[in-house]
Amino acid sequence: MKVSLFITCLSDAIYPRVGEAMVRLLAKYGVTLDFPDVQTCCGQPAYNSGYWKEARETAKTILHAFEDSDFVISPSGSCTGMIHHYPKLFEKEPEWLDRAERLKRKSYEFTQFLVQVLGVTDVGAVFPHKVTYHPSCHGSRLLGVKAEPMELMRHVKGMELVPLPFAEDCCGFGGTFAVKMADISGAMVAEKTDHVLETDAEVLVGLDMACLMNIAGHLRYRNEPVRVMHLAELLYEGVSR
Amino acid sequence: MADTHKEWLEQLEEQSKAKQESFMTGIAKKLGRSRVTEPPAHPFRGAPDFWRTFQWPLEERIERFTDHFKAAGGNVERLSNLEDVKAFVVKLAADMNARYIIRQQETELDSLGLEEALPEANLSVWNSDPTENWKARAAEADIGIVMADYAAAYTGSITVLSAARKGRSVSLLPTVLIAVIPLERLKTRLGEILVQFDERGREQLPAGIHFISGPSRSADIENDLTIGVHGPGIVYALLVG
Amino acid sequence: MSAGKAVVRPGTVKERADLALNDDFLRKAVRFTTERLRGGKQKAAAEHGNWDEWRERGRQIRLHTIAHLDYYLNLFADNARANGVHVHFAETDAEAVKLSLAIAERRQAKTVVKSKSMVTEELHLNAALDSIGVEAIETDLGEYIIQLAGETPSHIIIPAIHKNRYQIAELLSADAGEELLPDTTILAGYVRKKLREKFLEADIGMTGCNFAIAETGSMVLFENEGNARMVTTVPKTQITLMGMERIIPSWEDLEVMATLLPRSATGQKLTVYMSGITGPRREADQDGPEEMHIIIVDNGRSLQLGDPEFQELLNCIRCGACLNACPVYRHIGGHAYGGTYSGPIGAVLTPALQKNVAEWDDIANASSLCGACYEACPVKIPLHDMLVYLRRRKVESGHGNRMESAGMKGFAAVAGKATWFKGAIKLGQLGQKLVVRNGCIRIKAGPLKGWNSYRVTPSLPKQSFRDKWKTLSGEVQAEAMPLSAETRSRMEQLVREREKGGGGHGGHA
Repeated sequence: MKVSLFITCLSDAIYPRVGEAMVRLLAKYGVTLDFPDVQTCCGQPAYNSGYWKEARETAKTILHAFEDSDFVISPSGSCTGMIHHYPKLFEKEPEWLDRAERLKRKSYEFTQFLVQVLGVTDVGAVFPHKVTYHPSCHGSRLLGVKAEPMELMRHVKGMELVPLPFAEDCCGFGGTFAVKMADISGAMVAEKTDHVLETDAEVLVGLDMACLMNIAGHLRYRNEPVRVMHLAELLYEGVSR
Repeated sequence: MADTHKEWLEQLEEQSKAKQESFMTGIAKKLGRSRVTEPPAHPFRGAPDFWRTFQWPLEERIERFTDHFKAAGGNVERLSNLEDVKAFVVKLAADMNARYIIRQQETELDSLGLEEALPEANLSVWNSDPTENWKARAAEADIGIVMADYAAAYTGSITVLSAARKGRSVSLLPTVLIAVIPLERLKTRLGEILVQFDERGREQLPAGIHFISGPSRSADIENDLTIGVHGPGIVYALLVG
Repeated sequence: MSAGKAVVRPGTVKERADLALNDDFLRKAVRFTTERLRGGKQKAAAEHGNWDEWRERGRQIRLHTIAHLDYYLNLFADNARANGVHVHFAETDAEAVKLSLAIAERRQAKTVVKSKSMVTEELHLNAALDSIGVEAIETDLGEYIIQLAGETPSHIIIPAIHKNRYQIAELLSADAGEELLPDTTILAGYVRKKLREKFLEADIGMTGCNFAIAETGSMVLFENEGNARMVTTVPKTQITLMGMERIIPSWEDLEVMATLLPRSATGQKLTVYMSGITGPRREADQDGPEEMHIIIVDNGRSLQLGDPEFQELLNCIRCGACLNACPVYRHIGGHAYGGTYSGPIGAVLTPALQKNVAEWDDIANASSLCGACYEACPVKIPLHDMLVYLRRRKVESGHGNRMESAGMKGFAAVAGKATWFKGAIKLGQLGQKLVVRNGCIRIKAGPLKGWNSYRVTPSLPKQSFRDKWKTLSGEVQAEAMPLSAETRSRMEQLVREREKGGGGHGGHA
């Protein structure tokens, strides 16, 4: 059984600790992750901006990298969501379309894999902190990852989970949107941050480092000491105490 | 150039019919097929199946209709017979000091004998004299009285159909509207009423079918609810039976 | 009355958005109302229950109708004509305007009372009527207010969402020639009285059309104020402008639309008035129009037919739920979109209704692609996907941004090859030394200018994940637990199901 890690650009370059937490946590359940190092980016920046030729070139590296895998796990609903767009991206290239369909069916976001495939909802973590959760749009809306993180968090001992007001609102990241429409994006992340601060939580947790980098960047800009973590990190920290 | 208005309309009609052909051919062409001229199978017609059998017993219909109509800002009275309706209308007219009242020309309303019971008021009966300006009579009225053709409990709606003896203005132009609803006309769902219009067929439909679910309202100024914008601001639904 | 005074707005969505972002009042007003509407919708949908099944039903009815539009539209036209309606077809906005003006001239109309219609906004019909000396009066309270202000609606359902009661009191006071207090009841009371006279003296009533029922040739209007009923009851002539896609087959289908539209728009079980109008007044009737015209308008709609990426756009029932759900709309308001339709639906519809790709501005870029619009849509239009398709079409037609194109080529080159990708991360780790202070990057120049105006960027750690992999992998191999037989068999089962074509585990189509 070959279970491969699709690390995604941000976790590779900026947040390797997220990948590490996933690898170590899954090992406890007998899943030793494989890491094909020919993988690069899912191609979402190009896809979303309308540069599909470029997105296809990038997507092919991913299709190639995970050709032999049985399961492909990523720490991002957005990047796994991008893999769900591959069939559309290759709709006019039958030889790639078939590979795209296959990759789509075997791709899982981290909590999806943990809950749906491994059947794990209680990792035995203890995390005595006040935490709020931001459900990232692509993971929750487009992949439908809603119940899984809730189940996992519900079982964390000592943790106080405070509901985030208007949790389902976008944080304003949107990839190139944050650069092209910087002022609108800035207004959105400011509002999201206000809501995070309203909860009085010590920790903001989520399932997507892009959104979390965005909110963390604004928290830091305002000198607010809220700790920002991926759920994989939180769970791993919680079992390593 | 057409001489009379009628001739001009006929000219327009000719142009319209020619255009209709090219319009439809254009649509079919864009859809990539030849014209569809036979009724296509419509497997999704109307509400989902689970909804079609949904029924409340009479007492619950009364209760729900009352709740919903009141929640929308309307008033509901439960009365046993037309005698009570008469008493209610006479008292309301007296309390409001209504000087002008208009009602539809319907058997049940004729039988109330309101003309004798309210000698002080100027009570007119829609289209009782075809030479009268009936829109003006309705516009000056303090109270308009109609029979409901149907009512739906689920949405809290009254349905009125237009006819020579049943003006659309009577339920629209007066300040206060009173609708008399015999209990056997109170349905559970909107669909029970709507389907009857399909069954009657085009030729049997009146010009105006109006569903009324409370007093006229608007939230256009700062989302602040205002009652009685253009239509009646006070509406009474009298459930009888 | 100044009908449709032109308002000059800056050219790009970014410039228009900046205006809105700097208007604190506007942002607050829009946020307040959209939040209430969104909450109302969610409550109404939950209370009704099985919401996704109703959405799917609504979508199927719309898909079916549009897929057979030639049949149903033809049927509608024939039936409406049999009801005594004068039916007309307009391919362009100019044709629709010409027909409307010709009818107004023939009827020697002095005034036209209008109920809310987005199609007439598309056609700029008020200005056209004004140009031949016909006074067009908007009678929806919100529309009346923005007509006095010489503006256009900034929301499909709540046209004056961007105005507060003080601004409204000022406008209405000027109209009344006396000071009106900024109290909703007083202001609405003034408009009731003023427009009551207008309804009674108007020559023509003009409406839009929410739905047109093919099998009986009826047109259906949803409203709360009663002005649409006034407009279709009192004047002797009625003109209805209807988008060619407004069709549904039957009254039974109307139940589904009546379930979805009011709940999605305002959270109501049903609007106060839902009127089905089947032809002009009958011979013996004493009210309703003597003469009734329906102008069926294309104006770019048919461009979506047969286009697999955009045909679903014609399923839209104009409820405004996507505006209320959209975090971008909430911050910039409707006018920033620069077209008749605003919000997510406007960002797609405005360019889609125009043939000329080159003229699209960057409106499709004003979205973070969060998908809230799709989730809110009662007929499940994938607007977030359509925005991406629009961006792609612009790039493919050679109208992409030159800087961005170069950047994307570079991106593809780097991300297309793992060695280059690794090299790029390395380069970043080395290059950032110039700008990193205390583990973060705050420089507001170059590509990070916009981003860093609102954020602090984290620096890259010394080792990337792939740099660490070898060590990590070794450590984990040593400490890993064995995979349980039960889990293994479940995983094998999943792989087998997948090969048979199953293996769905969430995610949209």
